[in-house]
Amino acid sequence: MDKPRVAFFDFASCEGDQLQIVNLEEDLLKVVGAVDVVSFREAMKGHSDNYDIAFVEGSITRRSDEPRLLEIRKNAKILVAIGACATIGGVNLLKNFQDLESVRKFVYGDKFFQYETYPARPIKAVVPVDLEIHQCPINRDEFVMAFKALLMGKKPEFPNYPVCEDCKKAENICVFEMGMTCMGPVTRAGCGACCVVEGSVCWGCRGFIDHPNADSEREVLAKYGLSVGDILKKFRLYTGFSEVSK
Amino acid sequence: MYHADPPEVTKKLREMFYSAHYVHSHIAHFYALAAPDFVLGPDADPAVRNILGVVDKVGLPIGGEVIKHRGIAQDIQVMIAGRSTHLVWTLPGGVSKGITEEERAQIEEKAKSCVEFSKFTLQLFDDVVLKNKAYVDLILSEPYQLKTYYMGLVDQNDKVNFYDGKIKVVDPEGKEVAKYTPSEYLDNIAEHVEPWSYLKFPYLKKVGWKGFVDGKESGVYRAAPAARLNAASGMATPLAQEAYEKYITTLGKPVHATLANHWARVIELMYASERLLELAQDKSITDPNVRILPTETPTEGVGVVEAPRGTLYHHYKTDKNGFVEKANLIVGTTNNHAPISMSIKKAAMGLIKKGQVISNGILNMIEMAFRAYDPCFSCATHSLPGQMPLKLTIYDIHGKVVEQLERA
Repeated sequence: MDKPRVAFFDFASCEGDQLQIVNLEEDLLKVVGAVDVVSFREAMKGHSDNYDIAFVEGSITRRSDEPRLLEIRKNAKILVAIGACATIGGVNLLKNFQDLESVRKFVYGDKFFQYETYPARPIKAVVPVDLEIHQCPINRDEFVMAFKALLMGKKPEFPNYPVCEDCKKAENICVFEMGMTCMGPVTRAGCGACCVVEGSVCWGCRGFIDHPNADSEREVLAKYGLSVGDILKKFRLYTGFSEVSK
Repeated sequence: MYHADPPEVTKKLREMFYSAHYVHSHIAHFYALAAPDFVLGPDADPAVRNILGVVDKVGLPIGGEVIKHRGIAQDIQVMIAGRSTHLVWTLPGGVSKGITEEERAQIEEKAKSCVEFSKFTLQLFDDVVLKNKAYVDLILSEPYQLKTYYMGLVDQNDKVNFYDGKIKVVDPEGKEVAKYTPSEYLDNIAEHVEPWSYLKFPYLKKVGWKGFVDGKESGVYRAAPAARLNAASGMATPLAQEAYEKYITTLGKPVHATLANHWARVIELMYASERLLELAQDKSITDPNVRILPTETPTEGVGVVEAPRGTLYHHYKTDKNGFVEKANLIVGTTNNHAPISMSIKKAAMGLIKKGQVISNGILNMIEMAFRAYDPCFSCATHSLPGQMPLKLTIYDIHGKVVEQLERA
């Protein structure tokens, strides 16, 4: 049987997700050995349009990005969005809350009009996506798990419960109790609450769970004198798409 | 910005984390990007001219050591800061947690292993590159030279420092022309824009932008390993200093050879490993008082470190409520954007002669001019799966296309 043909692409991103894949170290050779990598980073443009699985990192930030993404969608049997920029728009969405002309003027001065841009958006806002591997950057173990499942023709399972559950398992003290705010109650788990474990708070980089318990979240926030508006403003770093897609 | 100076132990922990970062970053750049050109040769078949080809030539156990030490350095980062990419432990005024004695001891052992691996890498560079006259001649050949200004962070003894210090700039003759604190960066650097790139072109403001040209009259400067070694007067740790002296004795100073970045990078790998070990052997590093709680509204601040591929500037300014309203970053490779463009042009002009058949080897030697700077450019890579697209167009003096060569 022929090996599955796999391609990697990126749009606006720091390439941190592909870096996580390269950083698989010993596992990387096993991953590469199980498939034919026909394209890795845009460096292989034109090399082969024949692939089964396309992993796409980054968000779409220019109209001229769209034809390339449509072409990838057309060629791939399975399209997987990897990392927060691709799944929820990520940090790039912060620019959507600014006037795009004045932002460009600030960066490029009077030649700003030469630099094309439009409101940033995740991959699913442009083409249908078959699978999303969340987090900023993606978790290496979760990537390997999803990769193996895809090779076996199965759909990988991702948690659909909030980070609070991971946090309790890790025996953390709730950060609200420590006077801080947190996106954990509405964010998709699966990260082991790594940020809270290390003494920070959950920023929501894995996106919302499918059906967040909004009433409970409101109650928690109210208990600490906060509203949903307050928390969305503070955590706009990763919640921007949920605001603009309403 | 937060008006809170973190405790000494925090600065040591951050530097320790950062040294570990250098170790795996420099290992990747050297073994995956530079070594294939030298171990297998610039003319080698692209199908084998990659990290797997290197492993095949130098032996599987060495390939294992490369992977092991990249892993070790990342383990240290995870131990200290939770994650290696996008760490989660930094806070205004300090960090969220310190390290235990047990963790310190583990890091010490891992750091010792990194020092040994750095010794091996320096020896490998010596055996494969320096003992081969053709390679030394290649490094020193005219197509790979640019006479620019050089920038790097130095400590109070004028030695290379990655984490803290003042930014020093030397001219193409090696003479100091500026030494400034991070907050003075806008007096010293300005950025040129071109319509064909989103990435800007920083230059020395006081010298001015004179176009894509080198020399003392042009504000184009270089950052990253060779530039840091040019700007400073040496390395702060013994084995790295020893390697630095050999480098300067062989190549002179300042070093204008773009390909010397690979040698400088291996010297820096040794410094990062030794510094990692020094910090791991400092028993005060387990002090749990790792944060000063900021109490004032943040205002404005500039932070500078040496990223593996060049000086990194972060500048933030807040409104009266402490919310960020302006941010400016100049990241490592951006410093080298103009020199990279110039190096490619010079290599192409120097290597392609009239009537000559353009081989894959020549195309690769043009790539080598920018592979010396950065693996982050996707075009810098000849790692998996093996090649980059390159389009070469040769024009005659009237702008007419003479020959076109494309490799998908």
